[in-house]
Amino acid sequence: MSTDQALVQAQHLSVRYGARRAVDDISFTLPKGRVVGLLGHNGAGKTTLMKALVGLVKAEGQLSVLGRDPLRERVALLNEACYIPDVAILPRWIRVADLIRLMGGLHPRFSAERSRELLRRTSVDLTDKVGKLSKGMMVQAHLALIAAIDARLMILDEPTLGLDVLSRKAFYEMLIDEWCDGERSVVISTHQVEEIEALLSDVLMLNEGKLVLSISLEDMDRRFVALSHDAAVADEMAAAHPLLRYRVAGGSAALFDGAPPEHVQALGRRVRPSLVDLFVALTRKPELDRTQF
Amino acid sequence: MNPILPLMQREWLQHRFAWALLALVPLGLALLALSFAQVGVGVDVDGDTITEVTDARMAPVFALGSMAAGSGLLFVILWVASLIIISGLARRDHGDRSVEFWMSLPVGHGTSLAVPLLVHLILVPAAALLIGLAGGWLLSAVLVGRVMGIAEWFTLPWGALLGAALAVAARLLAGLVLATLWIAPLVLLLILANAWFRRWGLVLLVVGIGIGGWVMDRAFGQPIVTDLVRDLLVNAGRALAGASGGGMVIGKDSEPDLVLGQVPGWAWQDFVAALRQLASPLLAGGLLFAAGCFALLVDWRRRGASAAA
Repeated sequence: MSTDQALVQAQHLSVRYGARRAVDDISFTLPKGRVVGLLGHNGAGKTTLMKALVGLVKAEGQLSVLGRDPLRERVALLNEACYIPDVAILPRWIRVADLIRLMGGLHPRFSAERSRELLRRTSVDLTDKVGKLSKGMMVQAHLALIAAIDARLMILDEPTLGLDVLSRKAFYEMLIDEWCDGERSVVISTHQVEEIEALLSDVLMLNEGKLVLSISLEDMDRRFVALSHDAAVADEMAAAHPLLRYRVAGGSAALFDGAPPEHVQALGRRVRPSLVDLFVALTRKPELDRTQF
Repeated sequence: MNPILPLMQREWLQHRFAWALLALVPLGLALLALSFAQVGVGVDVDGDTITEVTDARMAPVFALGSMAAGSGLLFVILWVASLIIISGLARRDHGDRSVEFWMSLPVGHGTSLAVPLLVHLILVPAAALLIGLAGGWLLSAVLVGRVMGIAEWFTLPWGALLGAALAVAARLLAGLVLATLWIAPLVLLLILANAWFRRWGLVLLVVGIGIGGWVMDRAFGQPIVTDLVRDLLVNAGRALAGASGGGMVIGKDSEPDLVLGQVPGWAWQDFVAALRQLASPLLAGGLLFAAGCFALLVDWRRRGASAAA
């Protein structure tokens, strides 16, 4: 990714909890106008990295977010960024209308009118007490609050957990069609990778605290090659040391980092590797063979 | 954007029903009791015989006493409630995990802690004093009306009476700020103890101070710990009222109107005496200690954000 007009620049970034490194010497750059998927298994360091991005954990190395040091300039940074650390964390004692009023006083770029407009698309009523909302409705309320912030960077940690598929789809459509304007960037972590793959422009993959991939989806399509093939040529495919072998409709496929040898290419048909397959390939031991599952 | 007012508003939204309940129920009960119970005010004239007071000249004293009682009652109730609420300040948003939501907003850790302290230690008790004063005014109507007849209440010297009541209220409000300075080290230490040790904070603090004081006294002959705590509390009390060493000197046959006229002067002198007491190494040390506790609380909150990851 280009460093021109980067919203986030991280160099040799590490976060420790005692002796454990939750984020381990990672470097990446996020330009403006991108939708970045942050992928990783549970405990891979996604939440810690997001907290470091908004100055809630101390990080070693160099980190600049919107041109600021997140730890030292957390308040100024959060004036220009919005962040969902988790779902179902709104204060339960407050009514939604009062929360909107408070947000209007606490965030300089928050639009109460916009949040009310977004809430009208949901089943959440302004007079509802947060504690009485279902988990899904609480998520809808939180998303409506955050999406009403005129920020340059949105950081979302599993934002749609607990939402039904229609609400998730509606949120992502709103995010892409209404919030993203080519200048703003979104960093989103989720386990529902298939749902957001089409929305992403870039992907960061973490595995045990290490960054195993930082790439745009255009480059990903160019770099990684998947070949679907018949079972009869499985041994030849395996001999070419693919990153991953997995099942696809009507047969098997092998995923390669870079172009496979020509004689191997002739044995199969090139297909587009999915983000999930790539995620599995890069975050599991390559010798594992998913065709056996 | 200044987050102080919104953070105050947050306290109001979160605690308004409890505050209303704590203010209105005691006043309502007092009004009911004065309205329907048998009421009589007596003076022990010879150490044995209680003589009922019905002299109309005492009506201003009854009225002022009602207002003082109303203010005092609400002040004590809401101040104690505020202390209980504020003692759990550091962990109060952890139960529903909303602390993560609050920390995702552009508000500094110090501001997030300081504003509730201001609200609960100063503004709520101050409001309690003023509401109690207004409630006491209603109580005075009932008390004077039942003991001497309501006509006496309407003929009270309201100018002198309200002047005296406002002078006392102003003295108490100013004293509240000064008293808060004196008890700040103890309050912040309690909040910090509750942050570090959860529900055991108060127990450990009391036991720690008790044992520490006992050890220092018995082993070294220096009851410094208990002396410090006692001096802070005594000075806080004096800062609130009575800093000049006692109440007003009222002659046996003083006219109530004259006494009321002396109240503003006494209140001013008492406040000046309370101000003079601020020039104390104990207070300076206490405030330094309180600032240290506050810094540790801010650090604890910051580390809490990390620990939640």
